[in-house]
This record gives sequence, C-alpha cells and structure tokens, in this order.
Amino acid sequence: MNIVHGDNRAIASLFSALGRRLLQAALVALLVGTLCFFMTRMLPGDMAYRIAAGRYGYDMVTSAAADAVRHELGLDRPLLSALADWWSKLWHLDLGLSQVTGQPVIHEIAEQLVPTLKLSVLALGLSFLIGPTIGLLAGLRPGGWLDRSTLTLSVLLRALPSFLLGLLLVLIFSVQMGALPAAGHDDHGSIMLPALTLALGLAAVSSRVARDAMVSVRSSAYFAFALTKGLTLQQALLHHGIRNVAVPVISYLGVQLVYLIEGVVLVETIFAWPGIGHALVHAIFGRDVPMIQGTALILGLMFVIFNSLIDVICSLIDPRRRS
Amino acid sequence: MTAYTDSSAPLPSSGRRFSLVSRRGAGIVLLTLIAVFAIFGPWLIAIDPARQELSRFLESPSWAQPLGMDQLGRSMLARLAHATRLSLSMAVLGVLSAAIPGTLIGVAAAWRGGWIERVLTALADAVLALPGLLLVLLLAAFAPGQFWPLYVGISLALWVEYFRVVRAASHILLASPQVEASRLLGFNTIYLLRRHLLPVLLPRIFTLMRFGFAGAVLAMSALGFVGVGLQPPTPELGVMMIELLPYYSEAPWLIGAPVLVLFMTLLGLVLLAREEEAA
Amino acid sequence: MTDKYLAAPTRRHLLLTALAGVLPVGFASGDALAHGDHPDNAHAIAPVSTDTLTVVGPWELTGLDPSRAGYIFTRMAVAETLLDIDDAGQLRPALAVRWVVSADKLQWRFTLRSNSRYHDGSPVTPGSVLNALKRAQARPGVLTLADIRNMSTDGNDIVVTLGKRFAPLPYLFTHSTTQVLAPASFDANSNVKTIIGTGPYRITAISLPQQFDVERFDDYAASRPSLKLPTIRRARYLSVSRTETRTLLVQSGQADMAFSLDPPSIRRLQNSPQAQLISAMLPRTTYLKLNAGHRFLNDVRVRQAISLGIERSGIAKALLRDPELGATQLFPPAMRQWHQDSLPPLRTDPLLARQLLHQAGWIAGTDGIRYRLGQRFELKLLTFVDRPELPLIAAAIQEEMRQIGIAVRVVVGNSSDIPAGHRSGSLEMGLTARNFGNLPEPVATLLQDFGADGADWGAMNWSDPQLVAALARLSEEDRHAVQDRALVATTLQRELPVIPIVWYRQTTAVSKRLRGATIDPYERSYRISQLEWAR
Repeated sequence: MNIVHGDNRAIASLFSALGRRLLQAALVALLVGTLCFFMTRMLPGDMAYRIAAGRYGYDMVTSAAADAVRHELGLDRPLLSALADWWSKLWHLDLGLSQVTGQPVIHEIAEQLVPTLKLSVLALGLSFLIGPTIGLLAGLRPGGWLDRSTLTLSVLLRALPSFLLGLLLVLIFSVQMGALPAAGHDDHGSIMLPALTLALGLAAVSSRVARDAMVSVRSSAYFAFALTKGLTLQQALLHHGIRNVAVPVISYLGVQLVYLIEGVVLVETIFAWPGIGHALVHAIFGRDVPMIQGTALILGLMFVIFNSLIDVICSLIDPRRRS
Repeated sequence: MTAYTDSSAPLPSSGRRFSLVSRRGAGIVLLTLIAVFAIFGPWLIAIDPARQELSRFLESPSWAQPLGMDQLGRSMLARLAHATRLSLSMAVLGVLSAAIPGTLIGVAAAWRGGWIERVLTALADAVLALPGLLLVLLLAAFAPGQFWPLYVGISLALWVEYFRVVRAASHILLASPQVEASRLLGFNTIYLLRRHLLPVLLPRIFTLMRFGFAGAVLAMSALGFVGVGLQPPTPELGVMMIELLPYYSEAPWLIGAPVLVLFMTLLGLVLLAREEEAA
Repeated sequence: MTDKYLAAPTRRHLLLTALAGVLPVGFASGDALAHGDHPDNAHAIAPVSTDTLTVVGPWELTGLDPSRAGYIFTRMAVAETLLDIDDAGQLRPALAVRWVVSADKLQWRFTLRSNSRYHDGSPVTPGSVLNALKRAQARPGVLTLADIRNMSTDGNDIVVTLGKRFAPLPYLFTHSTTQVLAPASFDANSNVKTIIGTGPYRITAISLPQQFDVERFDDYAASRPSLKLPTIRRARYLSVSRTETRTLLVQSGQADMAFSLDPPSIRRLQNSPQAQLISAMLPRTTYLKLNAGHRFLNDVRVRQAISLGIERSGIAKALLRDPELGATQLFPPAMRQWHQDSLPPLRTDPLLARQLLHQAGWIAGTDGIRYRLGQRFELKLLTFVDRPELPLIAAAIQEEMRQIGIAVRVVVGNSSDIPAGHRSGSLEMGLTARNFGNLPEPVATLLQDFGADGADWGAMNWSDPQLVAALARLSEEDRHAVQDRALVATTLQRELPVIPIVWYRQTTAVSKRLRGATIDPYERSYRISQLEWAR
C-alpha cells in the first residue's frame, strides 16, 4: 500500500480532474447567476412589493413602500443591458446588497457559511461512522436479522421527511431526556441534533451501499483466495476488503452530497440553525434575489469542492483511478 | 474451511432460498396493496375528500372513519386515497420523465464521445450542483397554485443522476468485446442497445428510480415546508405531511398515514429488487 | 472456518472515530468567531446561562433600521419612543413627559424628559431626538398618516407643525418606527450601524437575523427616580420560525417566553410542568378583503351572501380552538371604543345565502356552482403563509363557498401579493389579518383603509361618503365621537367591503420560573422590566 508511488501520470490525472471541477464551478456560477437574473425579471407579481413585504412585514407593506423600493433598487431597466451588468458583477464577485437587509450579500454569507459547514461536516462524519459500519456488518451475513432490520430501517428513514425525523429526535433527546438543546445556536451541544438528523438520512443510503459492496467483496474471487491462503476473516477484511468496499461507498458520497445540501435547508429551518440553508429559505420567502443568488452559489460551490475532495480521496485509495 | 469458488452464487446462510422467494413475494404484495388503494380506493371509499365538517375536527379513528378526520373535519381515509393516487402517479411521471431523457442522453454522450460528451457532462455537473429547490421554485413561481411545474422542476433536477450513471456504465459497455463483436458483425444501433446495453443498465436505472420516487414525494413536502405548492383542497402526500405536522402530538395517526403509505411503497419497490440490483 | 463478526474496529473506523470526536471540540472553539462585521457587534454569542431570560418569537431581524425590525428592539426594551400606551389605550409619558396642542390644533409640543441618557452615555438632546424623528419621517412608517409640515426643536421641546388638524397625532409617536436612537447609531449615510437606545436594557451582542442579547442598563433609573431597578439582568431574543420548534424549546426549558403559539402547541403546553400559558385578545381581525368593483362582487347582496355562508364559529372552534373568536363584527371587543355591543352580529345562514345569490341572478348549475348569463361564479382568493392559520382558514372558506355555489381557488403566496393586486386591480378576494392596534388609536388606520380611495389592506373600489366624513371628524376633535364610531361600524357591517371572519388571541407560554408576566395588547413590549424570577 505504498501511496507514494510518485507516478507522473497519477498526478497529471489528478490535476485534470481538478481542472474539470474548476470548470464545473465556473459553470455553476454562470447557471445560478443567469437563473437568478431571470427570476428577477420574469416572476409574475411585483418584485418591489415582495421585497417591501420582506423588509417591513405584512402589517406595514403598502404601495408607497413598494414604490420607494422600486426606485431604490432600479427595478425597471431593459433586459439585455441588465443581464450584461449582472454577469459582469458576478465576474467581479460583487454579489450586491441583500434587498431585504441592505447588507452586502458577501458579508451575510460569510457569517452563515461557518455554521453550515460545521453542520455539514459533522453530519457527513456521523453518517460515515454510522452507515458503512452497519452496512459492513449487515453485509457479512446477508439475509440475516441485521440485514433485514437495517433494510427496513433504511427504507423507513428514506420515507420520512427530514423535518419529521428532526422533530422526533428533539422529542426524544430534548424533551424526554433533556440531554440536548432543542434548537438554536448558542450551546455547544446545539449542533448534535441537526447533525444527527442529517446523518441518519444519509446513513440510510450509505449503509445499503456498504452492505452491497461488502456482499460483492465477500463473494469475490480474490476474497475467497485470501481466505484459502489462510488469513482470518479479520485479516482478509483489513487487507483486501476495506479498500474495495471503501471505493463505492466514498464515491457514492458524492451523490449523497446533493441530499445533504437539500437536507441542510430543511434541517436548518426546523432547528433554527443560522446557516445558509436557513438564509436561502428566508431569501426565497422574501424574494430577495441577490441573497438567493449568493446562497445558491455558495451551496453549489460547496458541492463542487466536496466532490473534488472526494475525487482526491478516491484516487488515493484506488490505484486504478490514477491512470 | 469452506472454499467459495463461485463468485456469483449467493452466500449460503440459513434459509437462503426461502428468504429470496418470500422477499420478492412480500414486495409484490405490498405494491399490489398500494396500487389497489390508489386506483380503486377513491371510488370504493366514495367520500368527497374536500367535504368538511368543522365540528368534527381531529376526530379519532372510528369504524365509520378508520383514519379519523383531519384538522378541517375532512375524511382522512378519503384524502389519503386521493393523495396516494395523485402523488404516486405524478411521482412515476416525474421519475420517468427524468429517467428516459437522462438515459438517452447518457447513452448518446457515451456513444458520441468527444466534445458533445464534454459539454453535456459539464452541463449535467452544473445542474447537479444547483440546489434543486431553487430550480423548482423558479418554475413554481411561473404557475402559482398548480402542481405540474413542481414536478417538471423535480424532473429537471433528477435527470442528472441517470445521465451520470448511464454514461459511466455505457462507456465501459461500449468498449467491451461483446459490443465490439456485434458492431463488427454489422448489427445496428437498436440491436446493440437492446441486447447489450439495456440489460446491464436497467437494474441500475431501476435502483435510481426507486429512490427517486420517494425523493419526488418528499420534495413536495419540502416545498410545502417553504410555503410553495400548497393548493387547497387537493390532497397530496408530501403536502399532507407538512400540513399535518402541527398535529403530531394530538393526532399522530394523521401524519403517520402518508408516511406509512410512502414507506410501504418504497419497501415494496426495494424488496422487489433482485440481489444484483440491491441498494 | 467459522464466520466471526468483526470484533476489533478497523483502522479506518478508528481514525474516523477520533476525527469525529475531535471535530465538535474543534468547532466549538470556533464559536469564538465574530458575528457581524461591525466592530461594535463583534461579540460571540455565548451559551446562555440560567439567569438569562430567553425569549423566542417568529419575528426575524431583517435589519437594524427602525422601519424594518424596530419593533423587536422596542419590545425588548432597548429603544423607546416619545410616548407609551397603557393597557386601556391611554397615552403615557416615555421620553416625552408632557404633550400639549395649540389652540388652533395645528401645533403640538412634546416636552422631553430631562437627564435621559443613551446607552453610550451621551445625553438625550432635543437635537438628537429630532434627528431620529426626521429619519423616521423619511422612511416607510406611520408619520405620513398625518400632514406634518415641520418638525423642530424649541428649548427642551419638540414642536410638530401640521397642515391639517389631526387629533391622534400623539399616538403616532408611540409607534416603534419612531424610536429614538443616539446619533452614534448612524453612519455617514444615515444608515443604522448599531442600536444605541434609551431603554432599560442595552444590547451586548447581536447576530442578525436570528438573535441578540441584552443586559440591564443601570443608568436608566437616573432619569426616572421613581422606577424600581428591573430584576432581570440579562435577556436574549431568539428568532425561531416554526411554532413546533418554539414549543419544544419551552418544553425543554431552553426558552422562558414563547410567542405566537398555534392551537396544537397550546394544547401541548396546557399540562406542561415547565410553563404556563397567558393570553389576551388583540385588536387584530382576520377578514376577507373584497374587490367591490368586480363584476361579481359589486352587488351588496352577493357580499352579504358570502358573509352568511361563512361558518365563523366552526372556524373559530376548529382552527383557533376558541369559540369566542368568531367575529360578530369588524372590531373586536379589545377595541373598546369601537366595538358596538348593540350591533346585530354577523350570522351564518347558508339557506339565506343561497336565496340572496338566487335573487342576484345566480342560478345553480349541475356541478353545484352558480352561473349567470353563461358566466361561472369563480373567484380567486389570495392569502399568505406568514401567519400559519391563514391558509387553513382559506381552505375552510373555500369549502363553505362551494356549499353555497361559489367556486373559490386558493392561491397561497406572499403577503405583498395583496397590495400588489389592489394596485393593479386584479385582486378578487384576499384573506388577511389586519392589525388595528398598529396604532393605539385606530382612526388613522381606518382613515387609510376606508377612505375615499380605499387602501392596500382596506376597501377596494368601495367608499361611503358619510363614513369618510365620520372618520374625518373623528380625526379631529369630535363632539359626536360615539355616534360617529357607531356609524362607521354599522356601515361596514351592512355594506361589507371587507368580511370579518375571526378575531385573534395572542397566547404566550411563560416559564414557571418567572413571575409577573402580562401581555401588551398593543404588542409594543414584552414587559421584561416587570418580570421577576420566581423563587
């Protein structure tokens, strides 16, 4: 297992993979930017009214307030010139001001990014602990009770909406046991329940992926050979099993990130976790398009970055990928 | 020491053959139950899902109303039947409308290669990174108060998965000796597709479709969570989950019902899978 | 060889366990990161200690400007206005101790309290107060309801000169948008960069949009020697959008006061060992705003039929769990001067409703919906989700309308869709909850809503000259105030440009470790300075 093989080809292929990711990032930015631009323009209903409602609340939103907003934000310019302007702003990473709070979008996102990152990383870590472990164990005895019960449990977790799962966890751990805080961001333990909610949803799938990988490894020729060589089950798993199981599990993680990012949006709202998902929901409610654009951009870029990390890890684990 | 020589044979464990048969059988039974409920349920139950009797709000289950009444005094059983019908059929549509184009484009990309493939892959990756919620919201905003744009949005978000999986698998397949041989022998594209590609691709596509299905219904509940897609009084499984959330403590059977339906559908689909497909 | 379950963890899992253990610790120390980019806001939100009062509500801090989320700062007793209101709706001194009007009723003088200080120690000068008021006038708020020609200082007084008489003027200065902030709160562009108020509590940490911490401002008593020092030393406001989460926060003991609870949450907390519930009926009415110019709705019989078709007590019982909330007229009992006890209440009578519709020319078709001259009686009802009971009420109304033959399509959107629809003329029906207590004297709000041109949240394409005249009289010194109010109420009850549905009761959960909690019917204050810890 000498990773420092120092193949020039390996490094080159890694770089080309990263280059692809860079291109993906740029495309994501372009796509998000353009979509958001058209959102401002083509949504039925009056943008100015929506923004005024977001700012002043439904008790105070009136036509006068909306007119003031319209004037302030210049919401009545011709399409193409506005689009060009939009793209150039995006190129210069000028994400504008939030139309509801008036603060620069970059600042708002910077504040919110850290909580979301914390939550996502912890959720991924927990799901990695829970999912593949159970999956491996289940895969060792396919058809056994562990396998069947994890199958049922995983289907249940996939059929349950994340807000309901979060609610149940709060009921158990916060209200009944008083062990963890129910919501908010002030306590060191506040991160546990939201992270657990996300992790369980992710683990439901990764456990099955690990289980299937384990089954195919177990029934493979090289594994059988390892056992005939005289290795114990433990040794065979360690030396031959884990790496082969790890590859599909980790690469599936890349797909799971989509669910993570969408899950983050719901979980942050229900746990009042002040992250980007929470901000995206509020921006959508208030039709605050610069914020929608900024948060969608960050979420998309996070996805790309995580995927790049996974590419790197996969190529480290799997020598076949390097060439 | 037992030696395992046949890599494709399932591992022996107690009652292996029996469990394989009953697993698929259980799946079929579950799906049939759900299908009957969805197709014939509304007609059999014959209660208007919109008819409300406010004085009977949150009534407990009884013989006449096995699932009780919801927060507006409407028959929960009737609403569930109509919702199952609507949600599952739209989820099937949504998933199919993601799977078919995604597969075709994936095969085409792998077949053609070159810059077409690169462009499509880049586009697919970019769409994948886009938060699906955003896409759906944009479409929902164009036609407020209707369901179809939501499902179109969900399809648009889902097709990428099929594209990626199919493209990766097609690459390997198209480079395989079988396909090469068929090509040299002069068989046309349709034959190659039918004979070589589909048998390998279909199991993976089905796996994606299984969970895409559940995902489509849950996406509706996520949208309801943000206040989009609520279209009273039409019952829809995902929207019902969010509408009934406040009553989780007073009437837990109400929110349990749509979750149970989704769970049973998904379990049935998963159990139906053969060993090689499993996920 | 026997199958053995894996006993020892694999290397990978060991590594990951270690990582997962290290991660939370690492991130926890990252809590020391600053929130907010303004240097004055660069404090970490620390874990709450047991002597901190935690308040949770659905309202978010959409910005620091008083016109945006200023009400949250006045509620948490950080910022003050010139005048206060007591429970009976009578004006009380706050930053101004006296207020007089000139003989011609066009000039008002507000005498400021002496020895007041801002939280940064600077004195409250008439100039700084004027500055804050002028800012409020330039932004969306209530000061535009009066025809204010000029505001200036004269010694220790603020002088407001009107172009037209306006008796409720002092009430305008109780609104949170007119709160007084120190000059140091504003930056060079007159935007608020930090909140420096005059109240008994000052802000110690703020993290937009979700929460902020306050602590007791001990110098507050310097200008008010008769006041006792508040018992609560520290408090925190946390914005939590879902009512289920607010309820769970109370049940787990994390929150001491939780506002805006919906009926299922109230049910859940009724037997809670942690908290007790207090409630008060607020001057807020949920009503259907109708486009009285719409070709279907311009007949008063149709509007009355719609009103007769609505099952108000059923909605109040089922959706609000309080049968008393079924509206019998537009003004709830909380509006003592406006609520008319003698007015015959709005009834539910679907039979009569159908008769009225028939008389108006609407004949029932085979699908149960009425038709007239080939036109189907279809209407679109707009509502929004910010108040969670509104979509439910809309669904209930939709079904009730179907029973009398009107097909209603409910569109749940953004609250701004209703004013936008009013402006463009496309609105047909809108369901909203109007806050008549926005200003303790509702005349200003009513003048706007039911004036000659109608208003975004009030009547649309309908006006009654006698009603307008009565409201105009009421906005000046009115000898016949009682009769005029009765006229307004009776006209609205008869003509129904807006159809009242239900009133509103605010229910708050208060932790049992607190004493002395009351609800402000005008929603201006959480009354933190009056709370005490129960021993």
